[in-house]
Amino acid sequence: MTSTESAALAEPAGPHAKYLRRRSLEPGAPPALVPARMLNEVTYCERLMYLEWVQSEFEDNEFTVEGRAVHRRADQPRPLKKADPKRPPGPPDRAAADQGEEDEGEDEAPPPSTPPPYTARAVWLSSERLGITAKIDVVDVEGGTVVPVEYKRGKRPSVPEGAYLPERVQLCAQVLVLRDHGFRCEEGHLYFAADRQRVPIAIDEPLVEATLAAVVRARALVELGAIPPPLADSPKCNGCSLVAICLPDEVNLLRDGAREEPPAPPTFMEQLEHHDVEELGDDPWGLGPLQPAPEPREDGDRELRRLHPARDDRVPLYVKEQGAYVGLKGERLEVRRKDQRVVEARLSNTSQVCLFGNVQLTTQALRALLERGIPVSFFSLGGWFIGRAVAHDSRNVELRVAQHAAASDPALCLRLARGFVQSKILNSRTLLRRNSREPNAVALGELNQLARKALEAEELASLLGIEGTAARTYFGQFNSMLTERARVDEQLLLAGRNRRPPRDPLNAMLSYTYSLLSKDLTLAVVTAGLDPLLGFYHQPRFGRPALALDLMEEFRPLIADSVVLGAVNNEIVGRRDFVETAAGVNMSATARRDLALAYERRMDQLVTHPIFGYRISYRRVLEVQARLLGRVLTGEITEYPPFRTR
Amino acid sequence: MRQTYIVAYDICDPKRLRKVFKLMRGWGDHLQLSVFQCELNPRELVELRAGLGQLLHHDEDQVLFVNVGPVEGRGATSITALGRPYTHPERHAIVA
Ligand code: SF4
Repeated sequence: MTSTESAALAEPAGPHAKYLRRRSLEPGAPPALVPARMLNEVTYCERLMYLEWVQSEFEDNEFTVEGRAVHRRADQPRPLKKADPKRPPGPPDRAAADQGEEDEGEDEAPPPSTPPPYTARAVWLSSERLGITAKIDVVDVEGGTVVPVEYKRGKRPSVPEGAYLPERVQLCAQVLVLRDHGFRCEEGHLYFAADRQRVPIAIDEPLVEATLAAVVRARALVELGAIPPPLADSPKCNGCSLVAICLPDEVNLLRDGAREEPPAPPTFMEQLEHHDVEELGDDPWGLGPLQPAPEPREDGDRELRRLHPARDDRVPLYVKEQGAYVGLKGERLEVRRKDQRVVEARLSNTSQVCLFGNVQLTTQALRALLERGIPVSFFSLGGWFIGRAVAHDSRNVELRVAQHAAASDPALCLRLARGFVQSKILNSRTLLRRNSREPNAVALGELNQLARKALEAEELASLLGIEGTAARTYFGQFNSMLTERARVDEQLLLAGRNRRPPRDPLNAMLSYTYSLLSKDLTLAVVTAGLDPLLGFYHQPRFGRPALALDLMEEFRPLIADSVVLGAVNNEIVGRRDFVETAAGVNMSATARRDLALAYERRMDQLVTHPIFGYRISYRRVLEVQARLLGRVLTGEITEYPPFRTR
Repeated sequence: MRQTYIVAYDICDPKRLRKVFKLMRGWGDHLQLSVFQCELNPRELVELRAGLGQLLHHDEDQVLFVNVGPVEGRGATSITALGRPYTHPERHAIVA
């Protein structure tokens, strides 16, 4: 294998990746060495391997965090281990953890002429012949024989083979690499941290075959450059750390709904004759209780399993206090003002930090935030979203290439833009229909018609016109959604939409909440691995987050407008909170705070997803929608599923 | 789902005690001497336990975890106090 070939591996390919392949992958160039861990993944789920390896997606859940802690312990060098000569090598259930301590006391001289047994930790070996590279936690060396030990979180499963196939394949790969380097290696051990059991795994012919087949399969998938489809209704997804990125059931539903496909060819797992998947039962990987089977809903739609969290339960920190100073104190952020502590927030409980105007943030605090992947957003004092600080851009190059390819495809841009505008019009119509004191049938009908027209628009320019007309109709009716009480004050009423600067209180509030929303969509889009500046409907200019603004269209009425309505109708914010100046109206500091709190409450509210049927918070919806848009761009699903309430 | 935990520790060495206290401050509210109230999801519980595991002397020190129940259920209602008032932590955006 040459170095150019291994360099090609660093450039992943995708369905839109004619562009990529032409540039980098020579035809037939095999991917470089396959890491043993990826052989584990490809045996567990091909899509998981693709996401982790080709798209460099990674996400922690409790299992990965625990797994890392177990490995950390394994990698810590300890004094040379002297194996007990009275004990035969590798008997079952030898407790490795206990052994380390026991052995320290023993001081028997090893038999002469053979080197003393010892333990090597964190061994990294590769075999170009096999095409495998393996990081091995522990290698026990005794006489001429070596035994690799792979540490695993959790308990030893009760299966005759001692462990499930993916783990055994990974271990087998380590054995094969060791053998290829000339070591005598008969078996490998899996050490299960939860019950401290060390389980010897037989390296038999079928396992070697499965391992070599996994190498071939992993390379083939990478070369193919198309993400494998999600598993169907699989219990494996329950414990998968990438489930919120993969969205298995969501993607399957949208794929099935979009086109009738011939049945997929048998997966790698199904091809392994000696390993009958069916026999594994409901929860073969011991990942915990299954979610109850989805109940069919009344309207006949099926409710999907919601495998990812319904809401992000960490909380945002907003700092608006002018002259405040945000510093790091241990594991907490501390907001101070003139040597007075204003408030504290635990880093572990913080989802994002938003700073308005003249607020200082120390380098230590910024670094701690970035290390934990907590985004920091900056706003002008007036609430204009200026920018953000994030640790690293997503490493999913495949997705970004697909986004750029899609943005230069006018037909796709138009198709996406039609959907965004139509959803915005329909969602504002729904808000009007539900909240208007006396719904204006003419306006509602007009919005309906404009929504239909949006879907037929021939070019972006006419779409802009349709959107503008719909906005005039909608905002013309906006005051009808206010309570009698609020409407008494004429100065509060909306006189059409105006901005930069807003000329009346309602416009000021709308601008402010749109700004918060564009911040959250920017963060959602970035989290999904997309470039926020490159949009499909909004054209990139002045560095505005065009893609975030695209996705924002359907959420403007649902989130921002409804927050403003709620704040006014419930008298959280009123006339008293505004001062008129020559340049427009200014909102008081308390109104800004109360509006931000109301906005956050809205984001935290659970809503039924119109397509998937499960309950999910608005904040999580933004991320799910951004990820689904990503799946459209890579060609996995054909239509962007809009978020529309009924 | 987030659960409320009462975490109580008994650490035999003052230097380790300070480290444990500092770590605990990052995960919960200090209720009493050596007692914290933490609201943790499964992943955070693993992280906290792993962090503590690296600080403790496993033969001398001890940390107890008492699961009081889900944050939006028993976890919020089952703690009451005598003497100094106890306020239940609220989960909403912090605006300063
Ligand atoms: S969620 Fe399921 S389909 Fe998706 S990567 Fe994980 S195991 Fe595979």
